[in-house]
Amino acid sequence: MSAAGEIAAPAPSLRTIIRGAGFIGLGAIGVAVGLADVLTRAPANAENVGPPLLAPSLQFPFGTDILGRDMASETLHALAVTATAAGFGALVTVIVGGLLGFLAARLPWGLGLFTRWIAGVLGAVPALFLAILLIGLTARGLAPLVAGLAAAPLAFARAFDRARELGLSRHAEFARATGISSNALLRRDLAYEFRDTFLVNATRALAAVAIILSTVSFLGFGATPPHRDLGLMIAAARDTYFDHWWTATFPAAALALLILCARLAAALDEGERP
Amino acid sequence: MTEPERLITITDLCVAREGAARPELDRVSVAIDAHETVVILGEAGSGKDALMRALNRSLEEGESASGTIRYGAGPEEPSRATRTRAAYLPGPYARPLSPHASAIAQFARIIARKLGAPQASGRAEFAQEIARLDGAPPLAAFEKRAGEIPDEILGWGLLAMALAQTPELLLVDHLFEGLAPKAARALESALLAAKARFNCTLVCATMNTDTALRLGGRLIVMRQGRIVEEGPLPRLATAQAHAYTQTLFKDEPPRARSGQRGQPVVQALHICLTAEAKTRDEINFELRRGASLALVGEKGSGRHRLTRAILGLDYLAKGRIVFDAVDIGILSPEMMSRLRRRVAIIAGADDVLDPRMSLWETVGEPLRAHLHLRGDLVARYRESALRRVGLASLPGNLPISELSAFDRRRLQVARAIVTAPVLAVIDEPFRGLDAFAKSVIRDLLQSFRAEEGPAFLVITSDFAVARALADEAMVFRDKRIVERGTLAELLRGPKNPYARALVEASRLDTLHALSPTAAGG
Repeated sequence: MSAAGEIAAPAPSLRTIIRGAGFIGLGAIGVAVGLADVLTRAPANAENVGPPLLAPSLQFPFGTDILGRDMASETLHALAVTATAAGFGALVTVIVGGLLGFLAARLPWGLGLFTRWIAGVLGAVPALFLAILLIGLTARGLAPLVAGLAAAPLAFARAFDRARELGLSRHAEFARATGISSNALLRRDLAYEFRDTFLVNATRALAAVAIILSTVSFLGFGATPPHRDLGLMIAAARDTYFDHWWTATFPAAALALLILCARLAAALDEGERP
Repeated sequence: MTEPERLITITDLCVAREGAARPELDRVSVAIDAHETVVILGEAGSGKDALMRALNRSLEEGESASGTIRYGAGPEEPSRATRTRAAYLPGPYARPLSPHASAIAQFARIIARKLGAPQASGRAEFAQEIARLDGAPPLAAFEKRAGEIPDEILGWGLLAMALAQTPELLLVDHLFEGLAPKAARALESALLAAKARFNCTLVCATMNTDTALRLGGRLIVMRQGRIVEEGPLPRLATAQAHAYTQTLFKDEPPRARSGQRGQPVVQALHICLTAEAKTRDEINFELRRGASLALVGEKGSGRHRLTRAILGLDYLAKGRIVFDAVDIGILSPEMMSRLRRRVAIIAGADDVLDPRMSLWETVGEPLRAHLHLRGDLVARYRESALRRVGLASLPGNLPISELSAFDRRRLQVARAIVTAPVLAVIDEPFRGLDAFAKSVIRDLLQSFRAEEGPAFLVITSDFAVARALADEAMVFRDKRIVERGTLAELLRGPKNPYARALVEASRLDTLHALSPTAAGG
């Protein structure tokens, strides 16, 4: 191009690149988690594998904790626990929030709007507090389910608004005017929404639920030993962290990596707030 | 005689979209002089939109460009690009404003940003420009949210916004598309007056040959990303060298037609569209199978209200509608929905088809949803319909969102064909199409009517459309009929002044447009 009339060539689709990077990251985490037993030198929670509080070295790249557990093995096992629980919670968010929100938009006599209002009220409460409340009312073992439910109100509201928007769209009116029934329209909308938005919604929910679950565990309301997740690992390092940085840094980095990959896979769309 | 000053020189300009099979612009070279009027004419996908975007330096995401656009006489004036005051004037059809914010606030913000002035000053400039425009609505009309303002009024606002920037170059991008003929005519006159006032360069992209003829100046005809013909409009309008230009300017021959008659499809009895309507305002008509009736009028005149009532989507203040021998007043919503399966709709809006669906899904949906046909039968009917409209060669999984306006319109016809309807509602079917596409859609609709024999209910504001598709017409104003009769009668001598104005606005006599005064640039 000449200097007289520059036309800036736009960058390739940034969204595609971001999502691709996110899915590659999640895929790598998935492989690592799946092969956790093969990749680690010690089973989960195995004590006295090395000297206590050994700094990172060639033998123990992530160091050891106060009970002599290999931090690399422990971090990978905890990542498996967190990722599995967050994956289950994300499914709960997508199904309870997304699917029910979509169906609620078609409820008659203002029932739909009432459910939307309820979801709006619940969505105004930080999901973390909702999760702690629900764990108190149920059981700690249900933390993944509860975290998914806590993240669901905003997913519900989003799905509800989308369904209403679709219901009022010109193409829906056109379809109704040519005799396509409401049920057929609902089936059509559900199928296309599932196809087009499931991955984005699920990965967005994965990030939110992972944060909720880890924070709940960190605060002592979630996972219990011997099934340690990343939040519990970070909590266990509270007494040693300032003198032995590796005891919390690697679990925190693993958690950050999981959340970052999930958010990237969701193309950094604004998500459910933890 | 002095040489005209060169304003823009485009050399070997290519614009390509990521993943597209062919470039949107393919080595286009053209020069535009200062104070000149240039009309870029072509069908959807011809490349004129990409050229306008390149001139406005607003390429979309996924588009890349190569080549040169030089503003000014030559390389010795590299800073000319920044000194050229260019104003971009999109059409209201493109929905360029946010529908939820006040239109005037958005106009003021754009003007202020372009002039580098405070927003209050932008508002003052806009108000001043609206006051200058002959025929423009009052300033108060723009205080509402943009989504609530009719396109006819929004067009004036966009024009005032562009003119408030005191442009040296005015890029007019399909300003008149989708507007009623009367409104389009008034805007065209205002645009030409403003061009004379500012003595600016006018580059106008359009699909409409009539608009091109009225704007005058130099014509550039584009097709598939290339310039196929270029020259003064009066010459190209009468003596085209390229076959494509000849197709664009081909005049539609007037045809005498008598309505075919079959069983009644729609009977409207004593209908009042408003609660205050008097007995003499009652609407009574019968539409039989194979016949075609046009409801002509402007937006808000009652045409859509009547159509929605016929389809059982709105309830009437008074009157009865018998659809296919059934009084729809006694039907439950479910039964009415079943009855509507015998209706096809072909609308001049691109968002009536679900953009998430594919080509095959769109055509096959009525067959699956209404008739529950087997897959092989669906495929057979679908293929036959797609072949008839010329879309059979496209991949079946192509999403609607990737189709052009012309293809979407043809797809609507294909969907209507497989439905085998008794009533086809045809709502502004040519809106936003160029002359070539219009002629194809017109032929398809005529063949659809001749072969399947549905009753046509044509909704339009343009008598030219009514003439192409209908035998009889009813002219609507303020929710009542002001004149009705056969098309031939109405075109020959409408008695009502409003109907006469609509007939005159429909530009049935293209000779006027070809006259030197109208075509002068």
